[in-house]
Amino acid sequence: MGMLEVEDFTKYYGDLLAVDDLSFKIEEGEFGTLLGPSGCGKSTTLHTIAGLREPSEGSIRLRGEDVIDQSPDERNIGMVFQSSATFPHMTVEENVRYGLEMHGFEEEEIEQKISKYLGLVQIDEYRDHKPGELSGGQERRVSIARALAYEPDILLLDEPLTGLDRVLRQELRNEIKQIQREVDVTTLYVTHDQEEALSMSDKIIVLDNGQKQQEGSPTEIYDGPSNSFVANFVGKSTRLKGTVATLDPPAVETPVGTVPVGAVALEGLEVGQRVELFLRPEDVEFADPAGTATTTLGGTVNNVEYLGTFSEVLVDVGEGVEAIVHTSTSNVVDVGDEVALDFDPANVIVLEE
Amino acid sequence: MIIKGLPIPDVVKRYGSPRALVALGLGFLGVAYVVPILLLYWQSLNFGDGGLFIHYESALSGIYLQTLLRSFYYGILTTVVTLSLGYVLAYYIAFRAQREKFLLGLVVLPLWIAYVIRYLGIQLLLFESSPLVQLLGTDFGILFSTRGVIIGLTSVFLPFAILPIYHALNSIEDELISASRTLGAGQLRTIRSVIIPLSLSGIVAGGLIVFILATGSFLAPAILGSPGDTMIANVIQGAYSNFNVGLASSLAVIYTTLLLVVIMAFNSYVNIGRVLGEL
Repeated sequence: MGMLEVEDFTKYYGDLLAVDDLSFKIEEGEFGTLLGPSGCGKSTTLHTIAGLREPSEGSIRLRGEDVIDQSPDERNIGMVFQSSATFPHMTVEENVRYGLEMHGFEEEEIEQKISKYLGLVQIDEYRDHKPGELSGGQERRVSIARALAYEPDILLLDEPLTGLDRVLRQELRNEIKQIQREVDVTTLYVTHDQEEALSMSDKIIVLDNGQKQQEGSPTEIYDGPSNSFVANFVGKSTRLKGTVATLDPPAVETPVGTVPVGAVALEGLEVGQRVELFLRPEDVEFADPAGTATTTLGGTVNNVEYLGTFSEVLVDVGEGVEAIVHTSTSNVVDVGDEVALDFDPANVIVLEE
Repeated sequence: MIIKGLPIPDVVKRYGSPRALVALGLGFLGVAYVVPILLLYWQSLNFGDGGLFIHYESALSGIYLQTLLRSFYYGILTTVVTLSLGYVLAYYIAFRAQREKFLLGLVVLPLWIAYVIRYLGIQLLLFESSPLVQLLGTDFGILFSTRGVIIGLTSVFLPFAILPIYHALNSIEDELISASRTLGAGQLRTIRSVIIPLSLSGIVAGGLIVFILATGSFLAPAILGSPGDTMIANVIQGAYSNFNVGLASSLAVIYTTLLLVVIMAFNSYVNIGRVLGEL
């Protein structure tokens, strides 16, 4: 039995289908993420789990109990909102106290939990401040402490890092993950940021247009996307369209040349079938000038972006296709250089078009 | 606000120096406000026989004092009734209604009609000959009574309560209400602990406006009240029309001072400036 089970959940707004027959399960202590572009239905799903919206069809179970008919205050959930939604007329402490009082804790326990959770998010010293006196990051911390303090069955986070700068996002991302592990709370996280999803989750559910595209661990999603939407949305890649040329040796004919692929990738496919190839930038490298390259892929360097530990190089391989290569910064290439590309055929992701 | 690139007309350039603009504002305030009030003070004093403050003595005696206190009592009563009713209506418009703008239009619409006509309308509605009274067989003792005055004042000043409260309610973020619910608070608890505290600015603003307007009301007691419901404005007007300018002026001075004292006392309890700053 999962902690959270969503089954055949469908939501219409008027005639508009927002979520289409979505089912998934989050186990106790698991960190699940709903990932998708804006308007994919992920927030609607989260709000319905919280009881803030009603489903058109389907069931939602928490700890095995159907909660569809319960109002938000009857479901034992903790929610962190996009705007952090801390009460501006209450101090930090009163914000956390609110949920604890509503859940009927004794005064002694309330005191103890306020200290524990404000300490956990490192905001204890601001206890008597009003949220208006805090920075954006601190406010998020308060809302996380507030949602966790009464130890809910599940923690729901609705894009909680929206509007923060990059460094702070990264910092809070790590912290949320650490706290989640420490408190061992079942978590459902909603984001459009694939980097957040990949770095935090035990399980990712990719949504597009209200439909589940794929469900799996971050590695499963990244290394084995089930369709081209997932392959495009999660991670960067060089994208080539083509047709299966030969099965032995396994190769795909593309406008920019024949690309060797792994034998496994072509299983179940026939010669002549249209496919799409995805090459992750870290799987591609520049071929040794000595000429051991296994492919004919190559072209002119269009752009080199220095990113600290690595550089992202864009290579024009012809026919309007730009290949993305992540290379060690010691590997010096310049805009305009002619390069050949090399990769292990087994790493090429092949998807039926 | 200065809009870049917009040419400033020569007339404005010539006469529009900051000094001239300040003089214009202060001049208007002086002529239309300060001078009349000084005149009022001057006329409330007695320079003939019987002492300088003789008008104040009679203004603070028996019937006038009673009327003064009645005015404040009616003002407070009207404020309480109007705020309660106004809060419910504003809450409905802000959170429950489908056609928000339409309903707001209905709220503002009566302001187009002169008070005197609206009070007369209420009077007509409650006359013995009105179809409503004939249908019900009674006017519930409303007409020409304290109840009539309070109902009249409430109906006329309701928009002044609804609008600021609606504004305050409308600027409460939805997520704050959702947060309260997910934290385990029911609907009533959410209203008490989140919505009301966050709409306090609207309640204070609406309350102040209604209180000041209602306390100084002239028409409602005159049209809807009994002789025993006379309020301070009626007495002042009566004194003026009897050419008792000294009494009228001293009543006006006492009334205005008392109003300020009440508002200041309220201010020391709720910091009006700070609360309204949140509006």
